[in-house]
Amino acid sequence: MMESLVHVCLAGISAGMFIWLVASGLTLIFGVLRVLNFAHGSFYMLGAYLCYTCLKFLGIDFWLGVIVGPLAVCVVGYVMERYLLRQVYDLELPYQLLLTFAVVLIADELVKIIWGAGSIGSPTVPGLAGSVQIVGRNFPVYNIFIMVIGPLVALALWALLEKSWWGRIIRAAASDREMAAAIGVRVPSLYTGVFVFGAWLSALGGALAVPYVGLLTTGMGEAVIINAFVVVVIGGLGSLKGAFLGALFIGLLNSFGTRFIPALDMFLTFILMGVVLLWRPQGFFAGVDR
Amino acid sequence: MDKPGIKRRDFVKMGLLTAAASALGTGVMKPVGLWAATPKIKGPIKVGYQAVLSGTLAGYGEFHKMGALMALEEINAAGGIAGNKLEMEVRDSTLAAPAALQNVRYFVDSWEADLLAGVDSSGQALAVAPVVGQLDRILMVTHAATEKLTEDEVFKKGIKQVFRICTPTYQDGNAAAFVAKDLPATTWATINPKYEYGFTTWNMFQDTLGKLKPGVKFVADSWAPFGTTDFRPHINTIMDAKPEGLYSVVWAGELITMMKQAQQAGMFDKIKYVLLPVGAAMDVLEGLGPEMPDNIWISGRYFFLYPDSPQNKEWVANFRKRWNHYPAYVSETAYSTMFAFKKAIEACGSKETAQLITALEGMELDSPAGKRVFRKEDHQAMYDVPWGLTATDPKYPFKIMGKQVVIPAKECFNRPPFEGDASKPPFKS
Repeated sequence: MMESLVHVCLAGISAGMFIWLVASGLTLIFGVLRVLNFAHGSFYMLGAYLCYTCLKFLGIDFWLGVIVGPLAVCVVGYVMERYLLRQVYDLELPYQLLLTFAVVLIADELVKIIWGAGSIGSPTVPGLAGSVQIVGRNFPVYNIFIMVIGPLVALALWALLEKSWWGRIIRAAASDREMAAAIGVRVPSLYTGVFVFGAWLSALGGALAVPYVGLLTTGMGEAVIINAFVVVVIGGLGSLKGAFLGALFIGLLNSFGTRFIPALDMFLTFILMGVVLLWRPQGFFAGVDR
Repeated sequence: MDKPGIKRRDFVKMGLLTAAASALGTGVMKPVGLWAATPKIKGPIKVGYQAVLSGTLAGYGEFHKMGALMALEEINAAGGIAGNKLEMEVRDSTLAAPAALQNVRYFVDSWEADLLAGVDSSGQALAVAPVVGQLDRILMVTHAATEKLTEDEVFKKGIKQVFRICTPTYQDGNAAAFVAKDLPATTWATINPKYEYGFTTWNMFQDTLGKLKPGVKFVADSWAPFGTTDFRPHINTIMDAKPEGLYSVVWAGELITMMKQAQQAGMFDKIKYVLLPVGAAMDVLEGLGPEMPDNIWISGRYFFLYPDSPQNKEWVANFRKRWNHYPAYVSETAYSTMFAFKKAIEACGSKETAQLITALEGMELDSPAGKRVFRKEDHQAMYDVPWGLTATDPKYPFKIMGKQVVIPAKECFNRPPFEGDASKPPFKS
């Protein structure tokens, strides 16, 4: 029983950390730009495919792929914000949703054209393929690595937003766009910067997912983005702390649900989301870290 | 649409002509010229094909297309079907039933398809069957496996327009039980898809294995929803139950993910007997490459190294030349579908549904997968696909089937009238 409980916890935490990487960028973009970006999952997918390409065809190191892939996605993010999103900031929400959804479809087709429609099994990452015994059962070293990376990213984001000059500017623009502009903040450039940064976070999640999921498919972003949306809603739209705790919670809930209440596993997350929306529609942590 | 029915006399006449033509041999009298002169079939033969071309399983659609297109090219290069050009349109079926229905309506009402083929998911197949019955067009199912399609829709409800060329769930549930009965394992568990296909195969496996080997125990089941990317919670459930054998019809990309994660968790050190009814799919074998463990039991709807016949070898070679891929099982079923249509149309000299049904019922077809016979009662193609143990072969960059076992279709496929235990294996004769 001990063995089982420990491993259910470990599986939940490592899964949660993945959702966090994707959800962090999503909530950051929403918090500052007020855009619900459907295409966030596409950044995740592109990050994964570009990292894989570095690994497979360019023959470079996986770690270099983790750096290069997401950087390339930053370019995509830049183009999308600068030339597409900027046109619809002042329009109603449905226009944003339609536009970002269109980007999802375009990205999926592009991936099909460039990498083919089949699923691609990703190669094992040298040095991280092994497992360690934890209370009598193997646990992959790579998952432990992810469990370290997640909190590190959270810490770095917190430091960036709370302690740096950049963070102050970003928070200023998020809370009052006009006032920030009036005191000389170049809001459009700031928006581009935050969007590109959010895209980078999602792509980083995708690149790191390559050895974890072990598989690349068109549409892999959509599977992830649903969980990320749920996490962002539960945690409070725009709240990073909420997204972190929400992701951890969803990861654990899925893991425990699958093991102990298998009949409900698919619904638990959505039941939770429903309860949060009814009881605290602004989310657990909305406004706390603003 | 009002189409004149064929008269009895014409039918006899054509039958005689066919007999004469085949007696003379193709060298003397090419059927192309003969049929070109027959006024019965007007215009091109149009096949509406649908398969999943978007989302995570888009790769399957591409492989359907490769097989179907190759058959189309071969058939048209050799003079078409009864002298008529074969035309095909391929549409994305996604995996949702409404999309499949829309495609069927479009194909028949707007595009004026003579025949329909494809369909990946069991849910889609069951939704589409009554509609093709109403629209009165032949539908050859090339991938969806639920036995309910042929047992209930075709046999019990009498929707005679539906045929299936691929192996059904009998191959995944019943045949797997025949393999399992000879293994030392007495406790079994499953990680299966949390939808119709997963439920029905696990039930069938338990039922049949329970009869073949009384005393086996089924100790755990964990159900993975469609789109699962993290199988660790499921793997934990199974490892807690400590079974000797694992059965799983998790398929395509999800199977790749599950195998990798199970390997990392050391599951195959503890569970020695693993049965993967759809593990012999090319996307899985190529996707896993050397990471697929040895000595895992796998099967599929077709495997390119079986049968060891000249026809199959030639086909695989041609396929590789044309597409630079090994054929997936859906490529074979799509390819053979076109030739089944050709054979049926040329046999009855018509593309009218009623006559095609008669021609297809009981028809034998020599295909890359071997000889198929469309069973008259339920329209299920009877043919054998092996089960085999994964093994390393230096000739291939992926694992192939080493030791093979064939459970003949007639022994492991349920039989009409699909009522009670007498219709299910094991059969006395």
